[in-house]
Amino acid sequence: MPSFEGRVAVITGGGRGMGRAHARLLAAGGASVVVQDILEPEAQETVRMIRDAGGQGQAIICDVTDTRRLQHELTAMERRLGRLDILVNNAGIGSEATLEEITEEDFDRMFAVHVKGSFFAAQAVVPGMKARRIGKIINISSIWGMVGHHAASDYCAAKAALLGLTKAWARELAPWNIHVNAVAPGGVLTDMVLQQPNIETRMAEKIKLVPLGRYADPSEIAATVAFLASSEADFITGQVISPNGGQTIVGI
Amino acid sequence: MRHDLRDCVAIVTGAGSGIGQATAWLLAERGAAVLVQDIDAERAALTAARLDREGRDFDIVVCDIADPEADRHILATALARWQRLDILVNNAGIGIDRPIEQIDEIGFDRMIAVHVKGTFFTTKAAVPALKRSGRGRIINTSSRWALAGHDKASDYIAAKSAILGLTKSWARELAPYRITVNAIAPGGVKTAMVRETLGEVGIAAEEREVPLGRWCEPREIASTTAFLASTAAAFITGQVISPNGGKTMIGF
Repeated sequence: MPSFEGRVAVITGGGRGMGRAHARLLAAGGASVVVQDILEPEAQETVRMIRDAGGQGQAIICDVTDTRRLQHELTAMERRLGRLDILVNNAGIGSEATLEEITEEDFDRMFAVHVKGSFFAAQAVVPGMKARRIGKIINISSIWGMVGHHAASDYCAAKAALLGLTKAWARELAPWNIHVNAVAPGGVLTDMVLQQPNIETRMAEKIKLVPLGRYADPSEIAATVAFLASSEADFITGQVISPNGGQTIVGI
Repeated sequence: MRHDLRDCVAIVTGAGSGIGQATAWLLAERGAAVLVQDIDAERAALTAARLDREGRDFDIVVCDIADPEADRHILATALARWQRLDILVNNAGIGIDRPIEQIDEIGFDRMIAVHVKGTFFTTKAAVPALKRSGRGRIINTSSRWALAGHDKASDYIAAKSAILGLTKSWARELAPYRITVNAIAPGGVKTAMVRETLGEVGIAAEEREVPLGRWCEPREIASTTAFLASTAAAFITGQVISPNGGKTMIGF
């Protein structure tokens, strides 16, 4: 069982869904977890869950697209906790919009949250990681970033951009023993998914596309994040792991 | 985290040395009963000696996996001892670094027989038991060279690529039975065989080409196999994970 004793992990978008699952699992493994979210009650609820389970958690409330504020908060947290070892760039927003429906504002927001948010979060934590020669950055992409989708091209492009950051950072940061990988989830039963209209009938259709015949629980995606964040994966960098039930089998 | 393999039975082929040996040791350490298969009785005994010392539950079978009859014998040995099978690690392989002119028909056939036929017929024999398991895992061993090629060993690389084909089709074919099928494509690993052929100086030269600046120990490949074998990876199927220190980043 990988241990995160003595490690500090930052989870962006840690207030809900998969981000909350990553935060809780890493905290259960002994990490002190910084839960960043734009939604204060949700972030505080994740921190409360972590503390109730006997773990250490603290919140940062800000919008990841406010890069100056995000970097300031992360730097202050690093000073307070002494280190940041693990960054999970998880904060994201969904879309099902068609090409014609996506406005410039939508487009900019999509890239700001996923790409700029991840970029400037990493920029804030990398100096400390370099100095300590320990670092794990895990970017959350999507199967849609790998193989596309019939809508949401702004989302697909942003998730694909995260794969670009992953591979470039893996090379750039390797000399400092910083490992950078991406997790590209398939279907996950998050609240965001479950709250969609007619989800029960639609889910039957959706899981027909998944060879394993089901969607994942958020904790199953967290398990892959935790593996990559652990010393078990110290020789893995620049790779993409896709827990997707066999829905997407591509490349190589 | 759920890396506990208690109550699981695993077969590891080529477990007499290198990655296979490290895999047998690690799966046993996590609680699995392990069948150590190797073509070489002395090497299998070396692996078994440590399992014995550590009080693990294990058995040995010595045979050539290129013979389908032997593959049925491997499975029969496991079932006779434990009456079940949950994890099959198809690891046995041979590595010979030859240019095309030096690969004769006998050498070519042997390369395909060990890697492809061996993996195929060992799995064919094991599938009924893995279907009964309800949490079956097949982990095939490919190579970084199958992803990126190499300036020699084209027979080896063709065989390791064929293993990726088996992985992807079995992932789909066996998903209805909750059997996951994934491949590991290791980069540079400091096995005894490699230390002998390349020497420490040769390895050091290779390590300079790797972003992380090193080759890994066999146990670091085994840790990815153990992750894929665990319930934490139940939603991962049809995927290729390449612990390679960042040497190869492709696809997607």
